[in-house]
Amino acid sequence: MASHYYQEARGIRKSSAIIAVAVLNQAENLFLVGVGRTVIIRKIIIWNGQAANAIVSIGINVFPAAIANIIPNILAIVGFDSEWQEDMIPEVEINQNITVASTVAGIEVQIEVEEILI
Amino acid sequence: MPTLPMIHTYRGGPIEQVVLPGETVGLWINKVYEFYRILYIEPLFRSPPLTINLGAPAAAAVTAVIQATLLQMPDLEFAQLRMEVLDDVDVIVYQGRADQRHKLQNVVATLSRFNALFDPDAHLTEVFEFEDNYLFLQATNNSGYALTQARVVFWGYRYVLEVLPDYNWAARRLPEVWTRIPATAHL
Repeated sequence: MASHYYQEARGIRKSSAIIAVAVLNQAENLFLVGVGRTVIIRKIIIWNGQAANAIVSIGINVFPAAIANIIPNILAIVGFDSEWQEDMIPEVEINQNITVASTVAGIEVQIEVEEILI
Repeated sequence: MPTLPMIHTYRGGPIEQVVLPGETVGLWINKVYEFYRILYIEPLFRSPPLTINLGAPAAAAVTAVIQATLLQMPDLEFAQLRMEVLDDVDVIVYQGRADQRHKLQNVVATLSRFNALFDPDAHLTEVFEFEDNYLFLQATNNSGYALTQARVVFWGYRYVLEVLPDYNWAARRLPEVWTRIPATAHL
């Protein structure tokens, strides 16, 4: 028996660009949310091609503000990709831009969101 | 015995023709009904040639009101069309450059990619276009970023007509049975 359940679509699926985190520990935009919209993260892919393990935060606020996580930090191990499907991602609905920060620069992050018209 | 018309335009479900060949229609044009007999009907496929690109609006930008010349019908023909917005823009439909369709007292309803979630057959998008009574479309980019295109695709039916000169709306000489076709905006 499948461990997931079927959920009716509430919005349309979109993906972010592939963001290579520019500066360590400085939050930058990952997905820009449209006017009058909310988004829920449905998929996350992180690739760590750098020399050290990284802690990747996904949340809101951009530098110089500190990122405010909307899901717990993700450990991105050197030479590995981290893939998170929607069954494993909390249903957090956000009405502002999604941002990302990492303890190592150069980490690549892409998300898929369900964008919902309010 | 006359055939009863399908007087229910904007019907739910997949698109169907609203009349049959031989039946009488009244087309709402310039604030009167004009009367015609249907001679011939054929489908218009949802396809790239029936797709209009309204441009590449920047984030929060609004395009001009764009005349949909692509959808012009020949003389003595009208089209029954449904539409779907393919890119993340909100589209307002005009029939007559300044005449908005789908309006309330203070606001105008918009079409977007989201409509397919609630109206999978797009029956609420149905419009009728007679000859060169053009549709006009205007797109607003409400995404958070610039778009490279803003497409709307159409499909439906083409109806070929013959004039019924004995009938006249102003003189109240009306056919016994006829189907009302809202081919322009009701101002």
